[in-house]
Amino acid sequence: MPMRCKRCRGKVVIEVRRHNAAFCRDCFVHYVRQQVSRAIAKHRMLAPTDRVLVAVSGGKDSLGLWDLLLDLGYQADGLYLGLGIGGYSDRSKDLSQAFADARGAKLVVHDLESEQGYTIPEAAGAGRLKRASPGGRSSCAVCGLSKRYLFNRVALEGGYDVVATGHNLDDEAAVLFANTLRWDTASMARQFPVLEATRPGLVKKVKPLYRVAERESAAYCVLKGIDYVVEECPLVGGNTQMRHKETLNQMEEASPGTKHNFLFGYVDRAAALLRAADVAELAECSRCGMVTQAPDDPAEAPVCAFCRTRARLVGEASSGGRTLPVVSGRAGP
Amino acid sequence: MLVTARLRPPDRTVEVPDVRRVTDLLAQLEVLPGAVLVIRDGELLTGDDELRDGDRVEVRFAISGGG
Repeated sequence: MPMRCKRCRGKVVIEVRRHNAAFCRDCFVHYVRQQVSRAIAKHRMLAPTDRVLVAVSGGKDSLGLWDLLLDLGYQADGLYLGLGIGGYSDRSKDLSQAFADARGAKLVVHDLESEQGYTIPEAAGAGRLKRASPGGRSSCAVCGLSKRYLFNRVALEGGYDVVATGHNLDDEAAVLFANTLRWDTASMARQFPVLEATRPGLVKKVKPLYRVAERESAAYCVLKGIDYVVEECPLVGGNTQMRHKETLNQMEEASPGTKHNFLFGYVDRAAALLRAADVAELAECSRCGMVTQAPDDPAEAPVCAFCRTRARLVGEASSGGRTLPVVSGRAGP
Repeated sequence: MLVTARLRPPDRTVEVPDVRRVTDLLAQLEVLPGAVLVIRDGELLTGDDELRDGDRVEVRFAISGGG
């Protein structure tokens, strides 16, 4: 006997094994919307009048999230950051712009190379040479650092209340898995579906997709007809997060709900304990003025990880001063 | 009975003989069902859906390493 939709008994298009459920097209879209609404309500992520900046990459998660927030009635603009990864970046930007045009939404575009003087492939080259040295970072690490820094800064300077990112359940479970394997309690303490703006210079960050599995996010885009970049970033092949996701998926296959229980158990029961034990002191970066971790030595001038990394990539001279040219991007229609 | 499967990313195409259902196809391809979507003519297929001779399907990996 064929499976029937859990809500309406219609023809099934997708199974969600962790919930022992299957849905038709319309009920699945309803289910995803419900998961996002629940995440927003539970963690007070967004107020109805908030100006939301959605970090979009052209991928399934960020475009799906933007679509969901618009459908839920939020005032959500997109932010696309050009990473300089050749044709991959061009196609990602085109799809982000096409989505914005189709929805009549505003896309703000920034570019690492023209505004900051480096691209991620250049950082990857530098990373190969310097990864073993103090301060050296892999291309994925430089990419993540650049995005976190610039999302916050663009949101701050654009007067947005919240930055929303498309981190899904699998992303969050994989990061938690990696941090747990290293018992990196400082990073664990900062992993949560919402990070409040605890001081001037910080914009609130939210992850409304954290209750939606990666496969569900992709299915949502297919069912809603959202054209996203299917190809993988050429720099990401075999990275640690991919390996951790594969490991978790093997466990999930044998025992559905493993990733869900691992992540939600952490969010509901362990995160608060780690946050209470986290004593990181914050300071203002002496070069760009953004918030960073205070150095151990109080006599040392604080310099944020973005300024240190940028100085390594493009030279010390260009990173001095507090007038880093960040917000010169153009707004879309 | 032959089904043509386009797998991506990375993009490659294989022909798979003697598979009656989507579950059989994924087993032959040695792909975890929870990591992919199977798409035929723009429609999502479930593991129980039957395949027909000459079908062309896309097996789309849903996992990405960004974030």
